[in-house]
Amino acid sequence: MSLPIIDINDLSKSYGKARGIKHINLEIKEGEIFGFIGPNGAGKSTTIRILMNMIFPDSGSARIMGMDVTRETKNIKKITGYIPSDANMYSSMDVREFLNYCTGFYSIENAEKRTTELSELFELDMSRKIDELSMGNRKKVSIIQSLLHSPKLLILDEPTTGLDPLMQSVFFELLRSENKKGMTIFFSSHILSEVQSLCKRVAIIKEGKLIQIEDIDNLRKKQLKKVTIEFEGDEKKEILGIPGIESFIPAAGNIMSFMYSGNVNELVRFLTGKHIVNLMIEEPSLDEIFLHYYKS
Amino acid sequence: MNMNLFFKEIRRNATSLLIWMIIITVLITITMSVYRTFMENQSKITGMLSLLPKGALQFKGISNFNDLLSVLGFYAANNVIYMMVLGSIFAIVLSSNILLKEEYDKTAEYLLTRPVTRSEVFLSKLAVISINVFLLNFITSLAGFICMEIVKNGPFSISSFLVLSLYTLLLNFLFGAIGLFISTLIRRAKPITTFAIGLVLIFYFIYTLSKITEGISKLGYISPFRFVDMNVISSSYKLDILHLAYFIGISILLIILSYRIYIRKDIYT
Repeated sequence: MSLPIIDINDLSKSYGKARGIKHINLEIKEGEIFGFIGPNGAGKSTTIRILMNMIFPDSGSARIMGMDVTRETKNIKKITGYIPSDANMYSSMDVREFLNYCTGFYSIENAEKRTTELSELFELDMSRKIDELSMGNRKKVSIIQSLLHSPKLLILDEPTTGLDPLMQSVFFELLRSENKKGMTIFFSSHILSEVQSLCKRVAIIKEGKLIQIEDIDNLRKKQLKKVTIEFEGDEKKEILGIPGIESFIPAAGNIMSFMYSGNVNELVRFLTGKHIVNLMIEEPSLDEIFLHYYKS
Repeated sequence: MNMNLFFKEIRRNATSLLIWMIIITVLITITMSVYRTFMENQSKITGMLSLLPKGALQFKGISNFNDLLSVLGFYAANNVIYMMVLGSIFAIVLSSNILLKEEYDKTAEYLLTRPVTRSEVFLSKLAVISINVFLLNFITSLAGFICMEIVKNGPFSISSFLVLSLYTLLLNFLFGAIGLFISTLIRRAKPITTFAIGLVLIFYFIYTLSKITEGISKLGYISPFRFVDMNVISSSYKLDILHLAYFIGISILLIILSYRIYIRKDIYT
């Protein structure tokens, strides 16, 4: 059996009472696109920062390709790319200067060609000063710098913040293509839909604890919608019989809110003829999913 | 040491170094340009200075009026504040920011995730501090030397000048080490420039206060300025081995402590 590309054993880091991570165990196989989801403050960035040796664990260990993240960090970083959640770069540099500075840490053949290819793909003007760039363009620079040395492992911490939908799709397509060439991707996000669309497996973290590791297909089978209906009159009770209602969310007045795992078409058919003021079918927040699956 | 990082830092700090060099050189040049006028009117000026309290003169590093009559004495008395105080401010501002700025600007996420160890980051940045402090001292001392050569009305001791310049360099470098050390102690990164400048000024104030107030003269020993021998006109003026050991010892100690803290420091961005 091949060595896991990321192997986290009983990893803990505390920042005080309610922060940090507690006894995280996780194995990510080579070639996977692995999702790491949880609400803000759940411990995603803490885990990633330990992997990148920005911070040191209180206990436990983590290895990347068999190398210890604290003792063999230099060798790990030769083969790892990283996109931080914030895109704060050296503001006095222009894009080309920054990317050249980044490539200067590696032995990259045809570095200039690779830089140009990636910047063209993301439609990025390399002559612009970093402090003149929008958040979205900074994010593009951040993505490009992570891929310049063609890493075997790419670690992404909320990588899509600030990217417009078109560029998100270019980025995801690039990730899929790099994954086909053998790159393993560790994708951290608090947006379930983007993790679902890209990843094969996913780990859910909440309040520093790993709650679940699931195949994305299983998660899809359990896919929930949050439905909120505002009725004109007191018709709330009629809805109780609809199959697929998983749990109710407290709501006031003539508003009915619930988690729904059934067929949306059937729900709409059922509602036809009812006196509805407002109908919302939306993706539940992670907190709501956590609440549904792990508390109720 | 990582050369890519080293050269990036050298480029990044070049403008600041140049500005500080120009400011100090201009101040030295202006001060030295009045030396001839001073000599031409020495009796009037000496008379005026005699009206000042002794403490006020000591505040400027002048222990004897006659010191001012020698070009080297004039240089030492009038330029101490530029080369020692401003040079130390330059060193402490540079060193206290060079690691910390990566944290509070959040650029550490792009630096520390490269194939470079913490040791390499530390040593590269230390090399940048050392080179910057050395260049500032070299250029400003050279400017001082040239000015003295131009305005002198008699020979002066080059070895005494070199000893004074070395003291200045060691003092500046010690403040560089202090800045580096303090910056590694900061857990949640924020700029400490004001605090660093304040620290130099406080040490200078303690030193001058201890010189003009006999009762607290011992207090002066907590200030690094106290270990710079300013009595450049004395025929026995030379580099004191104990003072040399103090500057080098404390600087190395602070650098080693900073290194040990930094290589295990949690970097929050």
